[in-house]
Amino acid sequence: MTRKEFIAEIENLVEVEAGTLTGESELGDIKQWDSLAVVAFIALVDENFGFTPSPKDIADSKTVEDLVRIVGSGIEG
Amino acid sequence: MALARISGIRIAGVACAVPDTVRLPSEFFGRYGEEEVTKISDSTGVRKRYLAPPGMCASDLCVAAAESLFAEGEWGRDSIDAVIFITQSSDYYVPFTAGLFQKRLGLSTGCAAFDVNLGCSGYVYGLWLAGALISGGGMRRVLLMAGDTSTKVSEEDRSVNMLFGDAGSATIVEATEEGGEFTFILGTDGRGERNLIIPAGGCRKPSDDSTRVRHEDKNGNRRNEEELFMDGAEIFAFTLAEVPKMVRQVLEASGNTVETIDAAVMHQANKFILEYLSKRMKIPADKVPLSLGEYGNTSSASIPMTMTHCLREQLSRGRMNLLMAGFGVGYSWGSLTCNAGDMVMPEMVFLGSDQIGKEAPL
Repeated sequence: MTRKEFIAEIENLVEVEAGTLTGESELGDIKQWDSLAVVAFIALVDENFGFTPSPKDIADSKTVEDLVRIVGSGIEG
Repeated sequence: MALARISGIRIAGVACAVPDTVRLPSEFFGRYGEEEVTKISDSTGVRKRYLAPPGMCASDLCVAAAESLFAEGEWGRDSIDAVIFITQSSDYYVPFTAGLFQKRLGLSTGCAAFDVNLGCSGYVYGLWLAGALISGGGMRRVLLMAGDTSTKVSEEDRSVNMLFGDAGSATIVEATEEGGEFTFILGTDGRGERNLIIPAGGCRKPSDDSTRVRHEDKNGNRRNEEELFMDGAEIFAFTLAEVPKMVRQVLEASGNTVETIDAAVMHQANKFILEYLSKRMKIPADKVPLSLGEYGNTSSASIPMTMTHCLREQLSRGRMNLLMAGFGVGYSWGSLTCNAGDMVMPEMVFLGSDQIGKEAPL
């Protein structure tokens, strides 16, 4: 999965229009980024990257870029 | 992992009871807004729940379930050698509740009785215990009661107060010459302590005025320290780490595959989690029956509730290869495979406050 596709998945998950989010987007500003979204994000990473992300790392994330960092080298390109 | 194989036992009957008080998601629209409530309900899959009114305990629901079993089955009450109560909703700290079942159900004073404090994994543990008491403990017939009233400790916090339902179950496990093997996988990880907990009111942090005051947490959820806290993300992460593994282990150990299993009766955690787990374990959705839409997450009773709600016809008139999996509070997890059926399965009991047996109150 590319970085662009990954961010598109996050957009889908928090129900915002495609192309709305960038790495700098603050998670705190996204209305739908709540505990249900965190659970869905864990499933997203598990399914596509084959590991379970640490809930603490997700809770500590401030921006979309922090979420990208969680999957790290899993991102292509 | 603990692997156990038990032969010479059968599940002879399963019955369940819920309170007759219904609670719908729409009743929360005023408090949280329709959009928020609908979103939560869509994700958890819970469309309806039954709540025990004040004065109704998990034990009352289990007694009602057991009475329906005795009414429909042909077991003498004095033939019960042991009664086990799996619950996190005891009547009292002291005495233990299973002893009261001896009195309330008119069981022999020669029966053994004890409580076990377990939640979501409890039913699988209960079947293992009942089986072990029979195969190695000299018992012939064991009454396994499992039930909780989780709604009493999750009133205001929206991360839990639209999820749980109250229910009680009664299961008879007995010795048999026939019947195949029950294969169990059990596990525990005490690091889960903080993620599903009622922090105060026990011996570690006794109840006082401060533990009864509700505070708002960083997610805007209000609860006090004598109410249930759940970290959904941590629980889900644990579930992903352990549940597919234990299901694979129990299938392998019993010589089963996803194809040879007729139904995977899972603890009814929530719909999103169950659907994702099924996909991950490659178990077709039509082999994973759900009762949580109708009854919510009923904790220790969720597996028998799902058997009663979804499989009553098949299990009372035929036999099935069953996989059961319970997982949660502790953390604790357990799975089993067995061939079960031809059992006594009464219809769901709906218990009103006025129907609680006269022998119940002090």
